[in-house]
Amino acid sequence: MKLPTISRLTIVSVALTLMGALIPVQMVRIQTNIDARKNTQEYEDTYSYEERVLMPERGNIYDRWGNLLAGNREVYEIGIALNEVESPETIARDLAAVLGTDYAGVLEIARTTFVKGQIEQITVVDFVDQVSVAKLAELKKQYSELPPPRRGQTNPSLAGLHWSAHLHRSYPENELGANVIGFVPYLNRMNNSGLYGVEEYYDERMAGSPLTVTVAVNPTRVEEIPNIEPGDSLILTLDREIQSKMETIIDQAVSDTGADSGTIIVMNPETGEILAMATTPRMNINEYWRYDEVFPANTAFNRAIGQILEPGSTFKVLTMAAALDMGAVVPSTTYYDDGWEEVGGINLHNWDNTIWYDQDMTGCMRHSVNTCLVWVAKQMGPTNFYDYMQRFGIGHRTNIDLAGEESFPLSLPGDPDWYQVNLGTNAFGQGVAVTPIRLIASVAAVANDGTMMTPHVLRAYIHDGRQYDIEPMPVGSPISAETARILSEMLAVSLEEEASAALVEGYRISGKTGTADIAEGEGWSDYTNASFIGWGPTDDPKFIVYVWLEKPKTDRWGSVVAAPVFQQAVEQLVVLLDLPPDSVRLQLK
Amino acid sequence: MMKNPMAKNLIQAYRQAPWRTQIQWIGLFLLGLVGIVLMTGLWLSITAQATAAGVEIQNLEYEREDIQRKIADLKTQYAYLTSAAVMEERAAALGYIRADMKQAVYVIVPGYTGRQPEILALPITFEADKVDIIKPVYTQSLWDILFRTQFRQGIVLP
Repeated sequence: MKLPTISRLTIVSVALTLMGALIPVQMVRIQTNIDARKNTQEYEDTYSYEERVLMPERGNIYDRWGNLLAGNREVYEIGIALNEVESPETIARDLAAVLGTDYAGVLEIARTTFVKGQIEQITVVDFVDQVSVAKLAELKKQYSELPPPRRGQTNPSLAGLHWSAHLHRSYPENELGANVIGFVPYLNRMNNSGLYGVEEYYDERMAGSPLTVTVAVNPTRVEEIPNIEPGDSLILTLDREIQSKMETIIDQAVSDTGADSGTIIVMNPETGEILAMATTPRMNINEYWRYDEVFPANTAFNRAIGQILEPGSTFKVLTMAAALDMGAVVPSTTYYDDGWEEVGGINLHNWDNTIWYDQDMTGCMRHSVNTCLVWVAKQMGPTNFYDYMQRFGIGHRTNIDLAGEESFPLSLPGDPDWYQVNLGTNAFGQGVAVTPIRLIASVAAVANDGTMMTPHVLRAYIHDGRQYDIEPMPVGSPISAETARILSEMLAVSLEEEASAALVEGYRISGKTGTADIAEGEGWSDYTNASFIGWGPTDDPKFIVYVWLEKPKTDRWGSVVAAPVFQQAVEQLVVLLDLPPDSVRLQLK
Repeated sequence: MMKNPMAKNLIQAYRQAPWRTQIQWIGLFLLGLVGIVLMTGLWLSITAQATAAGVEIQNLEYEREDIQRKIADLKTQYAYLTSAAVMEERAAALGYIRADMKQAVYVIVPGYTGRQPEILALPITFEADKVDIIKPVYTQSLWDILFRTQFRQGIVLP
């Protein structure tokens, strides 16, 4: 029997057909085979999606005119993908040359064995600037364009070296306003919450909310990544120019007087807006790691809000305001000073032991007669005196929107640490403690027709592209408008009659000096807290300025060391605030 | 009863030639194959386009993040270049000096209310949300377009 002949063509055709048929068979097998599906699923899970934490850009901080005080800079984190490394030596050499990193250390990292799922990539260096990264990118490109190496040779290569950008906090004004702004310790990327100042107080608002999203890496499954809103930006009440000038003035004053520290606060008494808050010590907040060096133990970051002091005679403004308001005295009330005043069985004397004989209330303020103010407080009685002091907020925080505000409780009649003599010493600002911000906020009530405003540094904030303005917030009216005007006039006259060093030509100013002894152990320090608080123009105050010099060495009196600083500050202030002299201004009315 | 001899012949007459039947089967197979190829091609084309679009979206998203970072960085760089200390130095280099209180001259300018605080963003009172920035043509349904372009033609609105 003859077998049918099978041509070669038929054999090839069958073979090709079978091979072709195997392709769909394999496709079906992969789709249906359990092991194959498992592998595919694993691959898909690993490489199709990745989890990403979207960090919102931290909000900016501006001064009241839109000058940027705190922003963000772009920097890079550089790492090595171990399975991609071709030439560890090149990576170590070029990083050492461009970034100054340790050659041996980087070489060791680059030679680390790749272990899937465990050691895949290692960060080498962070916070690298754009210029350095551009150099590395250029080198990487040059190496990749080299012709293939000959057998036995290798080309230099930066394969495996990767960088990714991120933002870090930056302060373009360096030291300016540092005590108000605070800082973000950006080198710690895991926990870089704001510290001190507005950076801490408004940290949550500025930081925004990080968002964890699952992002499709597989382009066939790509979905829109949600657009994460940046944190809120803040517009402060600070005026950059005024702040700069006040810092220059206080630095010079500290240097000239040998004081341990100095503080100037400039506030708008009508609104409570802080226009400047200059204190020493101060540091470049871009180098926040110098904190311990600049602020030794127990040094407040911002002494204007964080340092308690006995205010001395500047406190007499509040005592006199209270007495006038309750009608215990009027400006023409006379007091006969014989050099001492007894209270609680203790005789209290004047600051220079001078006897001032007959003085009206303006004279008492002009000569800062302690005995007179003790007598005034006695006329009021402890209940009324302390009631007024509490109305002025003494013993309480002002609740200024800055982190780190301190307060010192006011001892009241009935408290275990209150004695009869306290009434007398408190009347002239001893035995009572306040922060500079507490004092200026309380005294500002006198400059603002009796209404006390909450001091604040936030003028507006920007949220979702909208600007929300902050309304000034009154916290009460401890005295009447009439009392406030009478006292302002008395204090203007007392400065004029005294020919105070605080007077500013062309502008009528009300104010009061302060010299407070500093308690030290069981006795008193040789040094004082010298201060001056004043506002102007007296008939329509637009600013109130508090100057405090801690332990000046050239002279101990506020009238000698602090009053001239106040004058310098106001001379600059009236120009920067566009405040014409009284003669010009009154013509416009 | 006699059988009609033509009956078998008629059946024979309508039977397809074998080669024709084969051609038809091959034709049907090829038609199916072409259909499958077309469908596969279409699927591949759409998938490729979607993937390309996906890649572009990914790139654009990365680009957007990059641009946002660059904007933040440039704002800060600009602030460094115009910081108080730098501006003071530049002013001094140009021969300017700061006016002091005695040098200041005050001029009455009718209507001038003084320097106003900076507004860095839209005020809250601005109702931008109520302003539709997308043209209606992009939001209308097919029915809306037909209604507007066909059915309302000739109607004179009051």
